[in-house]
Amino acid sequence: MDQEVKVGIIGDYAPHSRYHIATDEALGHAATALGISLTPSWIPTQSLSKGSVATTLKPFHALWCAPGSPYKSMDGALQAIKFARERGWPFMGT
Amino acid sequence: MLGIEDAEHEESSPSAPTLLVSKLSDSLVGKTQTIKILPGSLLHRAYGRDEVTEQFACNFGLNPQFRDKIEKSQLKITSVDLDGEVRVVEVFDHPFYVATLFLPQISSKPESPHPLIVAYLKAALAFRTFGNKK
Repeated sequence: MDQEVKVGIIGDYAPHSRYHIATDEALGHAATALGISLTPSWIPTQSLSKGSVATTLKPFHALWCAPGSPYKSMDGALQAIKFARERGWPFMGT
Repeated sequence: MLGIEDAEHEESSPSAPTLLVSKLSDSLVGKTQTIKILPGSLLHRAYGRDEVTEQFACNFGLNPQFRDKIEKSQLKITSVDLDGEVRVVEVFDHPFYVATLFLPQISSKPESPHPLIVAYLKAALAFRTFGNKK
């Protein structure tokens, strides 16, 4: 079964953050177990505080708000969380 | 969603009047806790258990002053620790909406992926296949 799932991770990726690395890895573990191919993309919070949040987030099949507050843009993070809640996108916040 | 226009986070706005998210009395950084899972919740379907142990890494949580307001909203508290402190909230009228204070990603292993993350990806797969059901 080759079904690509696109997950948008809302957060300001820090290459040395063990929690960020763990987020990518854990998604990989679950995708392997389900036999699906997964494309995770990190979405910087500042990119969500300007322009259309919906345009940025619509291409994804699920959204995940990553650990690491304070976000560079709390408003951007909240906009994305609101989009997921109101528009019915699968969402996890950890 | 709670009708709190000026909701603030103690980390970014420590002196704001309406702190929806406030500093925990005991930091949970590096701690492991047993949490209780509400039957019928998405969390319970993912774990298939009434109690699990999870790893935490946070200093902030839901301000207990707002608990009543949360309980009357669209958000449902679906997990508490053994002292009754809120650990997970969900939106029931939604395909999959879970917010946890613990970090499921840090206890996932290649040979034992985290059940909540597996459930999340199943929801993503359903969304991809069937589209937006809300």
